[in-house]
Amino acid sequence: MPVFKTPFNGYSVKFSPFYENRLAVATAQNFGILGNGRVHVLDLASGPVPAPMSELASFDTADGVYDIAWSESHDNLFIAAIADGSLKLYDLYLPPPANPARSLAEHTREVHSVDWNPTRRDSFLSSSWDDTIKLWTLDRPASVRTFKEHVYCVYSAAWNPRHSDVFASASGDCTVRVWDVREPGSTMIIPAHDHEILSCDWNKYDDCLLVTGSVDKTVRVWDVRNFRVPLAVLSGHGYAVRKVKFSPHRRNMIMSCSYDMKVCIWDFMVEDALIGRYDHHTEFAVGIDMSVLVEGLLASTGIPQSDANWFAHAEYIQLFAEE
Amino acid sequence: MVLLCAAVGPPPKPWERAGASSSGPAPFKPPSSGSTSDVVEASGTAKPGEIVTTSPRNAIVNTNAVGRPLPTRPWENNYGSSSYGGYNSSPYNSGLGSGMYNSFGNTYGGTYGGLYGNSMYNRGGYGGVLNGSGMYGGALHNSSFGGPMGGYGMGMGGPYGPQDPNNPPPSPPGFWISFLRVMEGVVSFFGRISFLVDQNTQAIHLFMSALLQLFDRGGVLYGELARFVLRILGRRKSRKILPPGPNGLPLPGPDMQQPDHRFLEGPKVAPTGSWDNVWGNDATR
Repeated sequence: MPVFKTPFNGYSVKFSPFYENRLAVATAQNFGILGNGRVHVLDLASGPVPAPMSELASFDTADGVYDIAWSESHDNLFIAAIADGSLKLYDLYLPPPANPARSLAEHTREVHSVDWNPTRRDSFLSSSWDDTIKLWTLDRPASVRTFKEHVYCVYSAAWNPRHSDVFASASGDCTVRVWDVREPGSTMIIPAHDHEILSCDWNKYDDCLLVTGSVDKTVRVWDVRNFRVPLAVLSGHGYAVRKVKFSPHRRNMIMSCSYDMKVCIWDFMVEDALIGRYDHHTEFAVGIDMSVLVEGLLASTGIPQSDANWFAHAEYIQLFAEE
Repeated sequence: MVLLCAAVGPPPKPWERAGASSSGPAPFKPPSSGSTSDVVEASGTAKPGEIVTTSPRNAIVNTNAVGRPLPTRPWENNYGSSSYGGYNSSPYNSGLGSGMYNSFGNTYGGTYGGLYGNSMYNRGGYGGVLNGSGMYGGALHNSSFGGPMGGYGMGMGGPYGPQDPNNPPPSPPGFWISFLRVMEGVVSFFGRISFLVDQNTQAIHLFMSALLQLFDRGGVLYGELARFVLRILGRRKSRKILPPGPNGLPLPGPDMQQPDHRFLEGPKVAPTGSWDNVWGNDATR
């Protein structure tokens, strides 16, 4: 399992949708509370066995970086969510002094997540601690729309992979809301957990299924057509679930990471839902991603090991999930 | 300029290759065509560049969609204004040189407490982690700062945290309480100082004794090696000519402890080879 140590705490990791061996890691100093941030773009040496990672580029920021999203339209662009409330657009083809290519400052609080529209490919969403979600397009200097209905920090927003106008947002007000960019307000309010919801994601093969991860330590799967009861409640994490993700390759597979330092793989349709657990992190696991291009290639990033040096690490697992 | 290359989409996603597979009619309107900004503008909901400022709200707001009080914002949650008011009058702000720790503490406690802290598990969990992972750099500091940091994790205002509605904020501390807290601060300050001095003294002591021991063992090692090398040399030379030596000496090496006659024989003739006569059993004699 190759490990790349970043000098700051890893916060998010994303595979490039264009290159199977490229990924970006967002990092921030001091748990992301104060201090600088840095974005690393890493290349995984190709080969049958994952080889060590080499750094293609890194960009420093004055504030912590909480999330990143690769552009779905250009292989050289990615957007970073910064703790000062701005979104910065980076272009790998530009020389380092010319980056960031654009800085979009509209949020008044930390931006906690960013997601690029995978179907229409020209827009992205940012969710922030100022309770709003903003919709941006590359051709506009300002946001196209602001969605303000949540009454507490919005921790994540995710596009539906099959409906280019629909997305879901997870908030600390214990609700998940489903939105349509053409509607003035949210189209669904799902009171999904009794505690703050930190992450949500759509199923890639069934456009009505949502997964949420919450501070109440559970992962829940919801059908938006009938959201009175969850389809599945997956418990097994010992602390708050930080991020959940549906597999791009398997309909029923969910990956989650938690502050209990575990990364778990679930199959929500079977009785023993927990099909894999990785405890290679020695501290909080906060960022995960599954490669869209290579089945079974997973990445996770976490906050430092408990030795005196505050190293984060992005780690790779070659996963062979049984059928 | 950002868009340096023509827009080419990424490889198709696995679920796109799989085709449409929904478990039933989706409750969404069919997607519109066109770019996102056009679609949003056509729907009449576009509000370009809207800036939303969050109004600072009370910790107990009951008029929200959730129907129960919300926690304070991470950035609002500091101990100076919360029910844990005692901390500001505590040693850490009393100008005794430890303000840094206070600000760290506030930041950590505030952010984690606010973000993830409206459940009891997390209060404990984070406090423990901060404490255990050596925020201040190792065992040396942890033993002295573990107390206050641990306090963040568990102690504040009951298991549900300071903002819990079932746990009303305590009344402000009286004079004697404040005075005792200040005194506690003074005492713990000097306690920390003396602890650090003691640790440093111990470290220097250990360093010096380790150095001395190194020299000592180094000398022993040198002596041993030298003896070994000389023994090898001697044995090789003597193999050619022995047994035995002229004085009845067996091999020169193993019996160094015997009284050595070689040096009692008076000055030697100048040796022919540089090392041949070193041990006195010269073949030419």
